[in-house]
Amino acid sequence: MTPAQPVILGEMPSLSKLYVNAAAQAARRRLLGTHDGSGLPAERHEVRGVTVDVATLTAYQHLIGETASDVLPAGFIHALAFPLAMSVMNRDDFPLPLLGMIHLRNAVQQLVPVLFSDMLDVTARVQNLRGHRAGTQVDVVAEVRKADSADICWRGVSTYLAKGVFLPGIDKPSPAPARADFKAPDPTAIWQLGVDTGRAYAAVSGDFNPIHLSVLSAKALGMRRSIAHGMYLAARALADVGPSRGDAFSWEVDFDAPVFLPCRVALDINTVQDEPGGGWRRSDFAAWNPRSGRRHFSGSVSAL
Amino acid sequence: MSIEGQPTAGPEEQGTRPASTPSTRRAVIVGGNRIPFARAGGAYAKSSNLDMLTAALDGLIARFGLQDERVGEVAAGAVLKHSRDFNLTREAVLGSALSAETPAYDLQQACATGLETVVGLANKIKLGQIESAIAGGVDSASDAPVVVSEGLREVILDLNRAKTLPQRLQILSRLRPKDLAPLAPGTAEPRTGLSMGEHQALTTAQWKISRQAQDELAYNSHRNLAAAYESGFFDDLITPYRGLSRDGNLRPDTSQEKLAALKPVFGRNLGADATMTAGNSTPLTDGASTVLLASDAWADAHDLPKLAAVVDAEAAAVDFVHGKDGLLMAPVFAVPRLLARHNLTLADIDFFEIHEAFAATVLSTLAAWEDEEFGRTRLGLDGAFGKVDPARLNVNGSSLAAGHPFAATGGRIVASLAKQLHARGSTDGRPARGLVSVCAAGGQGVVAVLESL
Repeated sequence: MTPAQPVILGEMPSLSKLYVNAAAQAARRRLLGTHDGSGLPAERHEVRGVTVDVATLTAYQHLIGETASDVLPAGFIHALAFPLAMSVMNRDDFPLPLLGMIHLRNAVQQLVPVLFSDMLDVTARVQNLRGHRAGTQVDVVAEVRKADSADICWRGVSTYLAKGVFLPGIDKPSPAPARADFKAPDPTAIWQLGVDTGRAYAAVSGDFNPIHLSVLSAKALGMRRSIAHGMYLAARALADVGPSRGDAFSWEVDFDAPVFLPCRVALDINTVQDEPGGGWRRSDFAAWNPRSGRRHFSGSVSAL
Repeated sequence: MSIEGQPTAGPEEQGTRPASTPSTRRAVIVGGNRIPFARAGGAYAKSSNLDMLTAALDGLIARFGLQDERVGEVAAGAVLKHSRDFNLTREAVLGSALSAETPAYDLQQACATGLETVVGLANKIKLGQIESAIAGGVDSASDAPVVVSEGLREVILDLNRAKTLPQRLQILSRLRPKDLAPLAPGTAEPRTGLSMGEHQALTTAQWKISRQAQDELAYNSHRNLAAAYESGFFDDLITPYRGLSRDGNLRPDTSQEKLAALKPVFGRNLGADATMTAGNSTPLTDGASTVLLASDAWADAHDLPKLAAVVDAEAAAVDFVHGKDGLLMAPVFAVPRLLARHNLTLADIDFFEIHEAFAATVLSTLAAWEDEEFGRTRLGLDGAFGKVDPARLNVNGSSLAAGHPFAATGGRIVASLAKQLHARGSTDGRPARGLVSVCAAGGQGVVAVLESL
């Protein structure tokens, strides 16, 4: 099968319009019945010649604790590509409701450093629709190339869960093997996250999802309080790993319990070397609520 | 060449040169790296001191292959510094590709900060305490700290100590609307209330420095810096940052006519004597610079170049508060003392790097050195200290064209001069010599002699 032609968008879509559209789509589907397809759209979406606003970049870098260098942080590229990824999930032939999807996992490969002055071609597609004990999950793959180059500089795979949505023909997997109980280690850092954490990240990432913005807007969507963006937390962990990660690395994170704001988050970063005294190979990280001991997320940054 | 008024002490009366005394060894300059300097509010408006210092440091690390290297020590500083940046240099090291086991300290000596980090670290290398070092400096006039009023500060601190609600309310009731106005940082001298420009205007008038001479010096600074860029001189001294690859203040197309058309901005209360304009004064600037220093053994083991040696340095200060000397005139005294220690005269210097705080600062310094009476009564010489050959002065441009992010200027000068000296090689069979002179707030100055390798 030849891959479908990409849908080329003239510019990066507006996230706020996508959220409004998603809400309208949800209402429409409620009236007309759920989407009946169990397949995913094959087309990938593409935007060419994307440029970075340096003021936004600097604000992002300062917020998550990266030095304001000319190299785009891997998490910044995620935020840059996010509206395009959303536009694929916003298509009428996408079978899951976009609103209320839960970010389960994120895996990024930073293959080549990207500078703020580079013009970028960004593509996004969805794949791997599959069952989950609580619903249906799907992978959104975004790739970034320097303009007019075939080489991928950055690839991100975001796994989302549509909770409570079961599509015909998609098997519910047998119950997941019980996770090993998380035992909180001694933390290497404590983050104090204020109520404004979600608004601050929304301002630098453009992701104004109401569940992150305020208690009221989060309650309107059924949350008891606003929660921190998962990618804000993961990006801070990546920044905490620091420059030892080098130019090319993979960065993976699994999200567990949401971080309700405001709160304190305990973090442990554990560095693994090639051999004792050798070069950096990997940094594993885990973050948890220091009071309850519940894990918020865990993952690793590894040399490529 | 004989210089009028050169020190009379002969070699037998001078101590041996510190660089060759057996108990110490040589400290060499391997190279440097800086980011282009930007005008305040320009390309680096949102970048912090930490961002810029880290950018300059990472460029140096990349240039000389220092990834994961445990450098002996890193010293840098900033003049306008946020209280959160108390450990600025160590934080920059932690954010860089250097080994996290590299120690670092902050230093602050106003505009002499950058040069003093070079001097202090070179001395540690000479004493055998460390094998390698990175000196540097950074300043942001754009991202300057803004201070709250004394009234608000006291209320906040007392609130912190209060234990009960009534106590807190009582403390809060002391707040007055005027306490809420923030205080922007200024360049005024704390003891005189005069800005640096106003101080220099007094010195300019005292030494009768003409407007035309100032504009000519400013013009030469732009012309020399532009020529240095054109010839590729800065290709291995600068890493682009935030879209800038050249100093933002550089005006390659300026002319003496354009400079002559500018209105005076300092010393206007002096009436007809007001000669200092925005063109012949340095603008507020953002930027950072770094210099890699090493012992011979370390540089050789790492297969790195050796451009120049740090021979010696001297600090001086003047009693400017009641006008005995001009605020920025300390190098006038430091240079004769330093050269006398090495039995050198101005004629033995091949390149002069006299920091252009203002064009008139350089010209006042030269005028004082050429003045017979000043040489006799203030420098303790037989006559005038001597004359600086204009063809040897700031040959690759200086602060008037490049800009002057206070603590970053020393590193800019040292790295450029070391490269220039290395390119010259030798003069009359001896190593080429360069003199660095940097004036600073508080009536201070630091000067140093470098020698080509």
